Amino acid sequence: MRINDRVFGVLLLILAVTYGYEATKFPVPFGGQEAVGPETFPILLSILLGIGAIYMVIKPDEDTKWPAVSMLLELGVVCLVLVLFAFGLEYIGFVLSATPAVAFLCWRMGATPAKSLLTGVITSVVIYVLFTRVLELALPSGILGL
Amino acid sequence: MGTIELLMQGFVVALSPESLMFALIGAILGTLIGALPGLGPANGVAILIPLAFSLGLSPTSSLILLTSVYAGAMYGGRISSILLNIPGDEPAMMTCLDGYPMALKGKAAEALATSAIASFIGSFIATIGLVILAPILAKFALKFGPSEYFALFALAFATLGGITGKNQFKTLIAAALGLMIATVGIDISSGVQRFTYNNLHLFEGVDFLIAIVGLFAISELFFFLEQHAGDGLKQVALNKLKLTAKDILYIMPASIRGALLGFVSGVLPGAGASLGSFVSYTLEKKYSDKGEFGKGDPRGVAAPEAGNNGAASGALVPMLTLGVPGSGTTAVLLAMLISLNVNPGPMLFEQSPDLVWGVIAALFVGNLVLLLLNIPMVGIFVKLLSIPPKYLMPIVTLVASVGIFSITGSAMDLYFMVGFGVLGYVLRKIEIPLVPVILGMLLGPEMEKNLRHALVLSDGDWSVLLNSGLSIGLWVVAAAGLILPIIVGPILRAKMKRPKDGLPD
Repeated sequence: MRINDRVFGVLLLILAVTYGYEATKFPVPFGGQEAVGPETFPILLSILLGIGAIYMVIKPDEDTKWPAVSMLLELGVVCLVLVLFAFGLEYIGFVLSATPAVAFLCWRMGATPAKSLLTGVITSVVIYVLFTRVLELALPSGILGL
Repeated sequence: MGTIELLMQGFVVALSPESLMFALIGAILGTLIGALPGLGPANGVAILIPLAFSLGLSPTSSLILLTSVYAGAMYGGRISSILLNIPGDEPAMMTCLDGYPMALKGKAAEALATSAIASFIGSFIATIGLVILAPILAKFALKFGPSEYFALFALAFATLGGITGKNQFKTLIAAALGLMIATVGIDISSGVQRFTYNNLHLFEGVDFLIAIVGLFAISELFFFLEQHAGDGLKQVALNKLKLTAKDILYIMPASIRGALLGFVSGVLPGAGASLGSFVSYTLEKKYSDKGEFGKGDPRGVAAPEAGNNGAASGALVPMLTLGVPGSGTTAVLLAMLISLNVNPGPMLFEQSPDLVWGVIAALFVGNLVLLLLNIPMVGIFVKLLSIPPKYLMPIVTLVASVGIFSITGSAMDLYFMVGFGVLGYVLRKIEIPLVPVILGMLLGPEMEKNLRHALVLSDGDWSVLLNSGLSIGLWVVAAAGLILPIIVGPILRAKMKRPKDGLPD
């Protein structure tokens, strides 16, 4: 199968065209038009990307295997967990948001739930103490207020 | 002579207690990073930059710390090659060929010690080469005008895929993507907002540190999850070391040859450490094989290790003098320099000689530290290697996130990091290389600036890009860099493929 490269080639071509088109719409800089404006380099790049994308469509490489849908979903959940960790950082603090995130990752990588939780707690607390006390980098303490 | 004097001053910087401490910490961290599977040197340095940055270290200290990490990672890569038959990074691949058989014969400790000594010789000779070559190249580079620089950047991208590169067009796509990301933000020379969509976070552009950590570290996490590689692999047990002076003398010629070859391929654009270790191994095999190579000949360990480390130091020559990195890890080192407000290039040698020579001296010191550290402490590193990835990768991810968060203290950066992780995963799936993306982000602003200068000086006449013999020469090399791999690539790859079989890439 050589469908991967074709699909992504088309997507990249769309990106190249949109990007190039947007660049032509830049407002004229204060002080008037010059020989090279803010749009010159981007237009050059969109041509470059366009050439590469067209080549991908015409001469695609052999596909690498994509994981099954269940695995893609799982990777999606992992992304969500990472985003939630980032979101929680500011509200509930570092330790409380890092512990479940690390524990979840360990568990998904094959550790037992108990060991995952233990790793999560120890890592979060150690990193928190190391960074805030020893290296003096501020990490949000959040509702624990340590 | 000037160089010697400057180098001596460098040693004064590098031998101060503070620098020695950073070199030691860097060496230990680097060895660990290199040794852990799935955490190559580029990755490791990338994770540590934001930390060094937010700890407020001085440029010299950060550079010493991170160059030691870089050197250490090259040492560490061989531990998993020899004990697990899995290269920590691509250049370490050739070390597997004789290192693993040696370990199977019950000579794991000897193999590790041999490779440590060869690594030291490789780095040592190549650093001497760096001392000699860098100032000459820096002086020469002063002749470069904007159009030459523009051609030089094009050359860097064209040759990045390397002579063994698979699909030149994918390198091109990757470079274009990176350069495009670099154009996001307020244009420095005209003040026009480009691709910001009025999002305040995009006004200053996308921080390349976030991109590096996302593309490398986070996408690596996804790959580990996908492949269920959480349990790690069985390794060969370590025996008691028995190494005599005779053994060291035996590998000496192979190491020196490997070091020289490695250095040359490190300096040359597009060759890099992979080719350095490959050429060193094959030539050593041609030169001195009597049927022992591939079955655990110590010279087969020494040659590629010396070549690999020689190339790593050699790659610093174009990076420091021209601001053009030759490999993934040097690209990351360039990222560090830029974020410390140090602009590599010929002027660096004029403006901050103490920094440059301090770093070069730190390479010497760091390598010695590594050699002394590696022979007695290899057992500890081996123990750490047996921590399964299922605990390690989440911890690394957390540390990386903390580093990114500490740059600006905003969760937005972490969302971007995850986004780049997904992008990195997809790009790797469609086999678009990640290093040109990073390099594009790093070199984009400079490349555009030089294009503009050249065109403004010529009043918009594009032929200015080919106005001197030098720039024409650079364009020719760039074109050759794009076209040659299409012809030579398949042959070389076929030769490299046999040892690669059965190894993950």
